[in-house]
This record gives sequence, C-alpha cells and structure tokens, in this order.
Amino acid sequence: MVEPLLRISDVWKSYDDLQVLKGVSFELLERDVKVIFGPSGSGKSTLLRCINMLNPPDKGEIYLRGSSITAPKVDLNAIRTRIGMVFQHFNLFAHLKAIDNVSIGLRRVKGLHKKEAYKKALEALNVVKLAKWADHYPAQLSGGQQQRVGIARALAMEPDVILFDEPTSALDPELIGEVLQVMLDLAKAGTTMLVVTHEMGFARAVASELIFIDEGVIIERGTPEHFSVSPKSERVKQFLRKLDVLYGSHEKLLDISEEEEKG
Amino acid sequence: MIFQANPIEQLLAVLGYWDRLLSGFLLTMWMYIWALLIGFFIGLFLALLRQYAHYSKRWWFIPPLDKIATVYIEIFRGTPLIAQLFFFFFLPNALNISPDIMVLKTSFNFLDREITLKLLDYPIFVGILVLSLNSGAYQAEYFRGSIISVGTGQLEAAQSIGMSRLSSIRHVVLPQALRRVIPSWSNEAAYLPKYTVLVYFIGGVEEIFSQADFIQHKTFFPLTTYIIVAIMFIITITLISKLLDVIHKRTRIPGL
Repeated sequence: MVEPLLRISDVWKSYDDLQVLKGVSFELLERDVKVIFGPSGSGKSTLLRCINMLNPPDKGEIYLRGSSITAPKVDLNAIRTRIGMVFQHFNLFAHLKAIDNVSIGLRRVKGLHKKEAYKKALEALNVVKLAKWADHYPAQLSGGQQQRVGIARALAMEPDVILFDEPTSALDPELIGEVLQVMLDLAKAGTTMLVVTHEMGFARAVASELIFIDEGVIIERGTPEHFSVSPKSERVKQFLRKLDVLYGSHEKLLDISEEEEKG
Repeated sequence: MIFQANPIEQLLAVLGYWDRLLSGFLLTMWMYIWALLIGFFIGLFLALLRQYAHYSKRWWFIPPLDKIATVYIEIFRGTPLIAQLFFFFFLPNALNISPDIMVLKTSFNFLDREITLKLLDYPIFVGILVLSLNSGAYQAEYFRGSIISVGTGQLEAAQSIGMSRLSSIRHVVLPQALRRVIPSWSNEAAYLPKYTVLVYFIGGVEEIFSQADFIQHKTFFPLTTYIIVAIMFIITITLISKLLDVIHKRTRIPGL
C-alpha cells in the first residue's frame, strides 16, 4: 500500500467550551486533490489550521509522509515550510511588494540570497501569471491578484501539500475565475492540494474525493459524481440544494422566484 | 501705581538674556531627545512583552513577562511624573548611596557670548532617566495599539511559510506597526518637551524654566519672560509635528 502524504487520525479540537472538531480522520495521497465543504462553523477552517499546526489539535495524530507532526518536540517551523497555506483573506504582507511577499520565506527561512530568492519567486509569480506585477504592493492589486500572490507565496516554498482555506469566498464573482484557473492548473500539474471551498465546479474538475463536514464530524464522503448523483444523507442534500440555488443556473433562480410569486 | 515699561522695552530687556534662554532651551531639548529615544526602545520592548510574552508561559521558569510589563506601565502612567522625579532623585540618599555621575560640560561661542552648557550631572541624569522610564510606559501603549492594528492574519501567514514567531514579528509586524504608530506617537513627541520642564522642580538643573526664573527676577518682567518661553515651545513643537508628518508621508506604503 502506498503511504499517504498526509494522514489525519481522529483529530479533536475545541475553543474554550466549543467543541469544533470531534474526531476527524482521512488521508491524502501524493498528487491528490481533495475538497472539504460544509456549512459555516462546521470546523473546516479549524481542520486546516490544525493540519499546519497554527492551532494544534487537542487530541489525535497528524502524519506528514509517515512521521507525526503532532508529537511533542517537533520543529513546527520546519514542518510548516512543507505545508503551504492559502488564506481566505489573502493575508499578504502589506508593506512588501508582490515579489518580496513571495521571496521573504525563501530568504528568511531557507536562507537564500536575494538574487536567488528573487529568481525563484519570479518563477512562482509566473505560475500564477503575475510576473508583470512583481513590483506592486498588495494594496495596488485586485483581490484576485492578491490571492494569486498568496498562492505564489505558498508555492515558492515548494511544499509537499498546499492547504486552501476558502480561497475564493472573499472575492468578487468576476475575480473568482482567475484564482480557480490557477488552482486548476496547479492540480493538473500534480500539486497535492486540500481545498476548503464551495466551488463545486472546481471540485468536479479535479477532486478525487469530496468530504462533507458538519458540526465537527465527517457526515459523508465520496467522488464528485457521488455527490451530484446520489448523496445519501439528508443534511448533504439540503446543503447542496442551497449551493445550487446560490451558484446554480439562472433558470433555477427564476423557478424559485416564480414559486414565491405563486405562493 | 507701579511703573511699567512699554512692551518693546520689556521685550528687549528679556531678550538681552538670550544666551540664558538659548542654553536653557538647549538643555531642555537635550534631555527631551534622550528621553524620547530611550523611551522609544523601552516602549517597544514593553509593548512586545505585553502583546506576545504570554505565549511563553508553558515554560514554568519564565516569569509572566506580559504581566510584569503591564504592572510597569500602570505604575508609570498612574503616578505623577513629579513624584517619580523626586523618588529617583532622593532614592540614593535614602539608601545611603552617594550617586557618582560623571559631569559633562560643553561651551561654545555664539555671536558675542560664550555659552556654557552642563550636559550631565546627577540631577540631569535623574531627569533623563525618569523621563525615559515614564515616556517608555506611554510609548508602549502607542506601540501596542499599532501592533494590534496590524492584526494576526499576517503573523499567521508568516508562520505558515515556516518563519519563526520572532522573525515574523521582526520582519512582518514591526515594519508595519512602526509606520502606523507615527500619527499617534507624535502625541508623545509633542507632550514630552512640556513634561521635561518638570525637571525644574528637582532643582539645580539650568534648563529653560530655571533660566526664565532667573531672567524674570533680574528684569521684573515675568509675563514677557514666560510668553517668550511659550513661543519657543510652540515653534519647536510645531516643527516636531511637521517633521513627523513628513516622515509619515515618506514611509507610506504604496496603495494604502
């Protein structure tokens, strides 16, 4: 059997009295893309933050290439260079140009010289099609461009896996496409990705498995086809209907308004 | 009725002591600049402790540095500056220690007069020390406010690419916090010259108000004397505010 790149085993996490994760387990293989979705407050973001140990889990184990990262005395900084993270609100370093946002990790963590770091950073910016914008500050970029710089920043560290925490949900509808396109390209190029998103189109295109989480537990998991054809649990069906209303075709939106008028 | 000279005569009489006004003003500014500078580093250090030190509490042998910083800040903000000055001035005496502070003097010729300036002795040392400690407490809160305003998102992003907490603070949070703090920090820069004059009360420091006192006794024109001193302050503080404005604009992050 192939050793999974990432193995999450019975992860529990609470904030004060609030039990956010209640025993989540799954695996992610090399070059695999999995999508996590579910209602807000279900623990999706917390799960990602547990995986890169920004909020270490209370209970449970996480293995990266077979070695536990939740064990005591693990060098978390070293582990985090191998787990990239893309944030919902980009979290770019506001005082640094795009190129410096991408190269700061190479310089401060990997100890590369400025010239070398810039070369690699430019390559990463090229992947997200922003090489021309290298000298712009975050505030001079659109939301979509900022998020692509965020992706380049994670990419430049050459991590084993990249975690995406709702990367498009803070974006204007018109800017979502360019970010999803970059993510599609990355997935097709064989990047291992764990993506929290409600973009079902993206999920259908590249995800090997979808994981539905609600109230801190995995309710249902399966292929994109499984979810679009025959989801089992009532909670998932209900949620997918709502997504469909929001992101679905215009006819459906029209249907609803007509129904409302009749009612 | 008491004889009063006309305003022009009064002005000329007081300005006749311009060398004393100048040396007093220079000494006040000398203490001010040191206090602001030392207070800057004390303040930054305290703000970092107060904001970030509680993360190290998992090691039992490290005292709660954030709490200590908070107590320090509250003591220095909660007691009168004049009490702090007296406390440190009389402390060595109460402990039977004779303070041994190097005396530093400088003199230069300006126009037709020789101006002698004492830069350091025990009272001046106490003045700079106490003003620094006090200003540090106030500056700490300005810095803490601006550190908080940068937010945790960027700190987490820095850690997510493997930067250590310390390196993230140094390279991501501080460059932004120090830019953001300038407008509110200019408050402290504008307040401190006027706090500095309190050193007058520990006596033996020939700063601007002791010189003014001398001049008004010689000329019998207290109103004119103190108006001139006030004008010196308003010009200085306006210049300081302008300078900080310029620095704020120059260090602005493009697009923000």
